[in-house]
Amino acid sequence: MKIKAKLKKDVVKVKAMAKHDMITYDQGKKKGVPANFITHWVAKVNGEIVYEVSTSQFLSKNPIIKFQYKGSQKGDKIEMTWTDLLGNTSSKKTKIK
Amino acid sequence: MQRRNFLGLGVAAMSAVLAPSALSAIDYRKTKPNTWTAHNVKDAMTALYGTTATTESGVKITIPKVAANGGAIPVNIQSDIDAKSVALFQDANPEAAVAVWTLNDKSIINFDVKIKMKASGSMTAVVEGKDGKLYSVTQSLEVALGGCEG
Repeated sequence: MKIKAKLKKDVVKVKAMAKHDMITYDQGKKKGVPANFITHWVAKVNGEIVYEVSTSQFLSKNPIIKFQYKGSQKGDKIEMTWTDLLGNTSSKKTKIK
Repeated sequence: MQRRNFLGLGVAAMSAVLAPSALSAIDYRKTKPNTWTAHNVKDAMTALYGTTATTESGVKITIPKVAANGGAIPVNIQSDIDAKSVALFQDANPEAAVAVWTLNDKSIINFDVKIKMKASGSMTAVVEGKDGKLYSVTQSLEVALGGCEG
């Protein structure tokens, strides 16, 4: 996963890209592999949730998400975690620039 | 005047509730499983919010009119409504729900995602306001090359 976070005025802009095939049920059937896609994303700063989304199979392959939030300082660390249907998780931490 | 009182009460109640709820994660796939298996927008919305009555204002969705590649259609949702959650649906794929965002006191409703669509159709973004009302916007688009064939 790649993640970038930038503070501008009071607002932190975050961009993240997960490396994931996002196989839908239909695609899985065709290829004979189990469907697997990211189902839940959460971003935390100092243990507090700043972004959270539950997602379905219809995000693109290697999905890119962008969001904004307020209330963080420069240098705070933001940690993004995703969980997929098969229970795999991946997380990445980055400093807010 | 009544409306004003009501809003004031709502804000006070919310600030009391918000502090603990901001710490715990809500996975809508677990709490509202029927949302994700519903085959059309109405059923999905009912499963998620219990109603399909929405006010069509206050929400902005930005999508291309014609998507060349249905495998990665950029979607942007914006709103200034003081809200609890935001949901995105579409009506071209086998199931309707795409994503449900849980908001907290730091959130700004300005979300970008890239999604897959099998064919031309429309997308609906729903914002669940803290006043208990639903606000929505629906926009149609054409997909030149479907994105679910893989």
